[in-house]
Amino acid sequence: MQLLRKLRGANNEGSLVLVLLAVVIGMSLLNPVFFTVNTAFSILRAATVPMILALAVLLVIISGGIDVSFPVVAIGSAYTAVTICLKTGFDPGLPAIFLMAMVIGGLLGLVNGFVIARFRLPTLIVTLGTQGIFFGAMLVYGCTRYYPSLPDSMAALSAVNVIDIPTDTGRAYLHVLVLLSIAIAVIIWAVLKFTMFGRSLYAIGGDVEGARRAGIRVVRTQLLIYVLVGMVAAIGGVAYVVMSRSANPQDLVGGELDIIAAVVLGGASIFGGRGSVGGTVIGVLLIQVINNSLLLVGVPSAWLRAAVGLLLILGVGIQAITARRSAQRIHSVDDAVVATGPELEKVS
Amino acid sequence: MKTEQAPRAQSGANSFADLNNRLGRTVADAVGRTLRDRGVSRMLIALVVAFAFFAVMRPRIFLGPINMQNIMVAAPEVGVIAIAMMLAMLTGGIDLSLVSIANLSAVTMSTLFTMMAASNPAFGESMTVPIILMGLLVGTACGLLNGLLISIVGITPILATLATMQILNGIAIVWTGGKTLYGAPAALTVFGKTALGPVPMLFIVFLLVAIVIATVVRSTALGRKLELQGANPVAARFSGIPSRSVLIASYTLGGLLAGLAGVLFLCRNPTASADYGASYVLLVIVIAVLGGTNPNGGFATVAGVVLATLTLQVVSSGFTALRLSPYQYSIAQGVILVVVMILDTIDWSRFKRKRGPATESASLQTTQVGSIKKEKEQE
Repeated sequence: MQLLRKLRGANNEGSLVLVLLAVVIGMSLLNPVFFTVNTAFSILRAATVPMILALAVLLVIISGGIDVSFPVVAIGSAYTAVTICLKTGFDPGLPAIFLMAMVIGGLLGLVNGFVIARFRLPTLIVTLGTQGIFFGAMLVYGCTRYYPSLPDSMAALSAVNVIDIPTDTGRAYLHVLVLLSIAIAVIIWAVLKFTMFGRSLYAIGGDVEGARRAGIRVVRTQLLIYVLVGMVAAIGGVAYVVMSRSANPQDLVGGELDIIAAVVLGGASIFGGRGSVGGTVIGVLLIQVINNSLLLVGVPSAWLRAAVGLLLILGVGIQAITARRSAQRIHSVDDAVVATGPELEKVS
Repeated sequence: MKTEQAPRAQSGANSFADLNNRLGRTVADAVGRTLRDRGVSRMLIALVVAFAFFAVMRPRIFLGPINMQNIMVAAPEVGVIAIAMMLAMLTGGIDLSLVSIANLSAVTMSTLFTMMAASNPAFGESMTVPIILMGLLVGTACGLLNGLLISIVGITPILATLATMQILNGIAIVWTGGKTLYGAPAALTVFGKTALGPVPMLFIVFLLVAIVIATVVRSTALGRKLELQGANPVAARFSGIPSRSVLIASYTLGGLLAGLAGVLFLCRNPTASADYGASYVLLVIVIAVLGGTNPNGGFATVAGVVLATLTLQVVSSGFTALRLSPYQYSIAQGVILVVVMILDTIDWSRFKRKRGPATESASLQTTQVGSIKKEKEQE
């Protein structure tokens, strides 16, 4: 029992892994084409950008907020960096481009963090506002052009593959940026697990007042969260631009709710205090696998949105019901009252 | 209004003076009460300022009858959805699926009409009313689904409606194949073009909806229950309010309004598509919050939401009159939202210093904490 509980994970990661495995096995039985290295690599490739963005959102969600401005921050900082390079005709090299985008992303995140932490406003509303501001500012004061080609260093990166093996159905490529998303996942996992900052994210998400009284500097931490989210989102944006081999300022925007859905599917609580890198990774992978499977089975990709929605309802619904059940088992009077409210009402 | 009838029984000049006094007091009370609501007075000022600004900058274009008509034709569909969003926020929730519901309802109506009109155009036209009812029914059913997921299953509103948004939108995409459907009863299109004097019928529909919902919120038992449920769900439960049915009622009503918005879509344009008004999802949240709705629940005014809708529409068409781009409008929208929210907190802190550390101000100070805690309890 103890082992079973441990395998299930704190946020139901175990169950998610089971669902993921079931989908993979089911698909492989249905269609042998699915179970190939090619498919695996293409799923990993497709998951790269959503993964980086989802990890950024995970930080906000753990701290009890919701950020809807991150796609704009991502594409905005990447696009601006590309524009600067192309306009000046100077290619500073990959690390510098990544750094430039991260600085821009960090500054945009600072705006979010400042408004949210200083004025204690609801995060959803603030990021809704800043999303409009950032997006408008990028297209008005930047430029609305679509760049079909990138600076040389970025263009070179888009053709680099780490693994390149011949299979019977052609060659299988694993794009180098997949490694970047794995690295970011590991770093964020370590930050959440081992640093003071990571632990205070959970504390703030659990209870802001409690965290304040425990001596955590809430305002400073919140500022840092949003700066960090901006920077990680900027990396995601650059990765997206590199992988699509073009820079379009209107891309990514509008997909914020899909990414948030993936994070929530991965077991993070939308009220904060709970969530893990592992769960998020599985949540993103699950959505990509389902996307890929639908195509292979011949279901139009239009069903993907509905499938993700259904999955979300199932995942969160089961969580809600089990949470209510387990809460009913608690014998403490206060908790029981909260948990069994509707039943209590009938009695009285 | 009741006061008008009471003195009729009396006779003489005395009753007239009495009636006059009472009427005056009632009106003053009503105006005073409306203006005291944060959202209403604030948005009234914003609306007047925005209107005056654009009227001075570009009097010929902005004050022209065509522009005024445009504002009044474009506002209703957004406004009705914003009122639905306000209802969800009043109970402390949020409804992200409203635009998807509206589109699904529009797609349903368009498909039904095309099917009926294919064999016999006259028959399609004669079925206008059933088709509209069908659209409203689709909206209501979707709203009911939201309500059930939130109250019975116990999923948090933002997640439940995020999921139904994806599902309903997915269904609409599959249904239409991602294309735009053409075809709507001519009666709807004609209705969308008619006007009562200078005021388009669509705008009158919007005002009627606003008045009905305002009455429901302000003077019915359901409205009180919605407010209490949003203000403090635990207290609401202990005072015997059936949380489940109240929540279901709130989201079902929201779904009905979204279905109506679908009808308005078809009135403006005889086309329906799955991704019409995708930017409305976040826009209606902006409108509801600007209109003084507390996103944590417990407080909302329909008048504020109506004024906020008009203000944003005035700014939007004003920007067009000034030949500014929609991206500049997007900046303005964001700036308005953030600035209004910040101004709000500043007012609150002054209020706090004057009245001392009352419980209310303490709860305002930690709005975020409160909302998180409250929603946890709901969970």
